[in-house]
Amino acid sequence: MRNCETNTDRPLTAGAANAVLVLLAAVVLGGAGSAVRADEPDAADKLHAQKIAITVCGTCHGPQGNSTQPKFPRLAGQNANYLATQLKGFRSQARGDPDAIGYMWGMAAELDDDTIAALAAYYAAQKPEASPAGDAAAIARGREIYDHGIAAEGVPACSSCHGPDAHGTQDFPRLAGQHAQYVLKQLASFQSNMRKVAIMHGVAQNLRLPEMQAVAAFLEAQP
Amino acid sequence: MSGRTFGPVSRSPIAIAILAAALLAAAPKADAVPSFARQTGMACEACHTVYPELTHFGRVFKANGYILSNVKQVRDVTGKKEELLSLAQTVPLSIMAQISYTQMKTSVPDLSSAGAPGVAQNGTAGFPQQLSLFYAGKIAPNFGAFFQLTYANDSGTIGIDNTDLRFADTALLSNNSPLTYGISLNNNPTVQDLWNTSPAWGFPFAASNANVSPLAGTAIDGAFAQDVAGITGYLFWNESLYAEFGGYRSAKQGQTNALTGGAGPLDGTASNVMSGLAPYWRVAYEYNREQHSIEAGLYGADFRLYPGAGAPLRGPLNQFNDVAEDVQYQFVSDEHQVTIAGTHIHESQTLDASFANGGAANPKDNLSTTRLWATYYYRRKIGGTVGYFSTTGSTDTALYPANPPGGPGVVVSANGSPDTRGWIAEVNYLPWLNVKISAQYTAYNKFNGSGSNYDGVGRSASDNNTLYLLLWFAY
Repeated sequence: MRNCETNTDRPLTAGAANAVLVLLAAVVLGGAGSAVRADEPDAADKLHAQKIAITVCGTCHGPQGNSTQPKFPRLAGQNANYLATQLKGFRSQARGDPDAIGYMWGMAAELDDDTIAALAAYYAAQKPEASPAGDAAAIARGREIYDHGIAAEGVPACSSCHGPDAHGTQDFPRLAGQHAQYVLKQLASFQSNMRKVAIMHGVAQNLRLPEMQAVAAFLEAQP
Repeated sequence: MSGRTFGPVSRSPIAIAILAAALLAAAPKADAVPSFARQTGMACEACHTVYPELTHFGRVFKANGYILSNVKQVRDVTGKKEELLSLAQTVPLSIMAQISYTQMKTSVPDLSSAGAPGVAQNGTAGFPQQLSLFYAGKIAPNFGAFFQLTYANDSGTIGIDNTDLRFADTALLSNNSPLTYGISLNNNPTVQDLWNTSPAWGFPFAASNANVSPLAGTAIDGAFAQDVAGITGYLFWNESLYAEFGGYRSAKQGQTNALTGGAGPLDGTASNVMSGLAPYWRVAYEYNREQHSIEAGLYGADFRLYPGAGAPLRGPLNQFNDVAEDVQYQFVSDEHQVTIAGTHIHESQTLDASFANGGAANPKDNLSTTRLWATYYYRRKIGGTVGYFSTTGSTDTALYPANPPGGPGVVVSANGSPDTRGWIAEVNYLPWLNVKISAQYTAYNKFNGSGSNYDGVGRSASDNNTLYLLLWFAY
């Protein structure tokens, strides 16, 4: 996954995006099963992580990772490998969207790998709570884009990486139930390349705001 | 905003000195501390809407003793991983400056030439009004400090300012809800409070020290700032239910014992010395959901004071029993920050000492202060506040004395009433998150008991209206 957080300076055309995405996805998924799986935390790490998660992270993300504030992503049920990669991205300051800079660069600065693995495991084990459903028309449009992409604009189906139920994989994040506002902000950050993820920059660069809003509304409504 | 009257107020030099000291102590102290940002690695917006107002995260950070640290530490541990030392490699020091300009609607009389009084110059530059040095951050694994040393242009000296030393820790209860518990050692009742509704951190966050302050203010409303030492214990359950209890004792700065020449014990030359320990209490409940945060609470204290100022420290006391309610609503998003807040303080005064020596006309008085304000900011960049304030209380011609024959007026009350009310409007611009430029206007409808001719020599409440321009930054 680390290569997901590196920049591609070369702008992608809409037409080229699909091919590159499929290639990148194959590379990332191919590597997912072996090299970059989070270490299994021991009992002491687990206890330590639980306390940090509830008493520090929980102030923004909710004690069990079911944040109610749209600024802060919901982490309950998030895939451990993805979480660990993000925490390491904050620590190394590779992930550069505005709230990552303002909040998470500091919070993750001194986390060691064991704690990161244990925190990731803690959130992966929490049960996601249902989010409120939004506008039905937007959700329907969002589902269409999520399932099938927008061929005319070179936008691939989100489901091809994030799964048919938006639960993600070991390396691609779970998006189901995520705050729509948070998803929107991330898509904007991928688009502007403040958050430098080659795959997502390719996906997001041709998305228009109403399309992003529809996908975000759809994702928030998913269990 | 808040003059203070305790014990006998006569025109004696001692009483004037007491009043001056009380006014000085009550000068607004408001702070923003970038050393916290350096220590946590987080931007100001994590803890503040716009400084010094706290967000929920800021309140939790404070309750936890200012110890959250995300920088490299010099450490020492035992074989059982017990931390013996944890020193941040960055020392949590900050500086803060307030540079101001004050213009009153009508200047005050010039007392320098008694025979043919003119008026004092109107338009006062404070350069700086205040300059502070902070140690604000972690000291040890569960011990942190907010320690402020301030140069103020009214005293022309450097002195101790707001201080809050905290031991705190958080336990996970069996249902996994967090319980934060701690002890605060501080020098100003409510400086340790988590909400910007109680006096020490309430609106206005900064105000002129070159204007005219009303005579009356409740005891908990800053009268003892930096003049007491307190220890309080608190519990904060689930980041929502808060309870605190403790006590304060006089800890006067610059007061020496005439016999020993030492910093104590306090004797009858000191005024308003607390008898024993003044109890302080606080309960509050906060609810957070989505971008909304709502708080409601109660706080209070009971101060028993010797009149002092030459009277021995025995015999009758003056008692000031304060009970206050406070509420706060915050909406915090990236684009919009809205705060609606207020407090109402009710004080029952039992003035046995002052009534006996003629310093009060009544054995018992009441005094209430209400403040309400609403703030809006757009992207933490530009915003403003509109606030209402009102103090009402018993008429007491000795406590709020009239102008003596030939006197200059201004800080007197022709009818013995403490009633003062008015509005504050403020606009703020923050080019960067740690630099604030403000223009504030305070308008009085009533001042020391009346709207017009409140001092008996023709001054109106509105003559004390004040324009205050402020450049306020911290680094």
